[in-house]
Amino acid sequence: MIITRERFNQGMTYDDYKAQMSRNRDRLEENERTLELAPEDVRFFAELAEPLHVLVITEDWCGDAIANLPILGRLAAVSGRLDIRIFLRDQNPDLMDQYLNQGVHRSIPVFAFFDTHFQPIGHWIERPALISEMQGKMLADLYRTDPAFAGIAPGTSLAVMPEAARGRLMQAFAAFRAETRSIADREVIRELRELLARSLAGEER
Amino acid sequence: MSCANYWRAALQERKGNWHMEMESGARPPRVSIVYCAACGYEPQTIELASALMHTFTYDLGAIELIPWQDGAFDVAIDGELVHSMYRDGGFPAHDTIIQAVRQRLVR
Repeated sequence: MIITRERFNQGMTYDDYKAQMSRNRDRLEENERTLELAPEDVRFFAELAEPLHVLVITEDWCGDAIANLPILGRLAAVSGRLDIRIFLRDQNPDLMDQYLNQGVHRSIPVFAFFDTHFQPIGHWIERPALISEMQGKMLADLYRTDPAFAGIAPGTSLAVMPEAARGRLMQAFAAFRAETRSIADREVIRELRELLARSLAGEER
Repeated sequence: MSCANYWRAALQERKGNWHMEMESGARPPRVSIVYCAACGYEPQTIELASALMHTFTYDLGAIELIPWQDGAFDVAIDGELVHSMYRDGGFPAHDTIIQAVRQRLVR
């Protein structure tokens, strides 16, 4: 992962990014405003030994980015130790292709951390692992217990799913997102802390 | 033929076809497009829907656009999956979907 200072500085600041958003700015700012930060989390980032550069790859249509970028934005604002530069995924394939999810997927958001000399520290992609796991369990339970899914195999495309099952699936996902919001926020922060603590302790350099 | 008359004639023809279809039990194909709304796939969805509208004019029963997530881009015709991004990879060529609709129209 080679990122030069010059390339990094071509990115947008968080405020510049918000100013150019063509959609979902209200949702992003609402998530930023309502995020609950624990004092120990604020302290962790405020007490980082050195300020860190954070390269962000995102797009304003991405739900995971609208949920998770504001967390990084708030952490940067309250700690004063994170220097964020934002790049749009579809206009920066050279950057995106350095951070493919499982080596294949162009998942966003990407938060890539660098020290003051632009040595990579570690990166975080898309959403917390726990949320993906909970979502899988929610789906398995739904298919097993809801009569609307009788005879429908998990993974069946919505395009060929009966109307009743499709409606139930959409309702279930909406409820899941609402119910797991605070857990997801906490998990993002926990995973970022873990990534930085592990890497700054010298395990992943 | 004036524009109004053209459309009136086209509608009459369409009504005639519907009448024949109802009598024969055939129904115009219904196309469902599931797209990942969290992935910015709206342009590809609209382009495919537009290609179908321009190609088939009155001969489709419906074009259904279904917002979803998880990187989906699936196309079904009358409940039969003709393209899946998971299964087939990428977006479908418009001609592939148009051809699949044509095959159902001649059945």
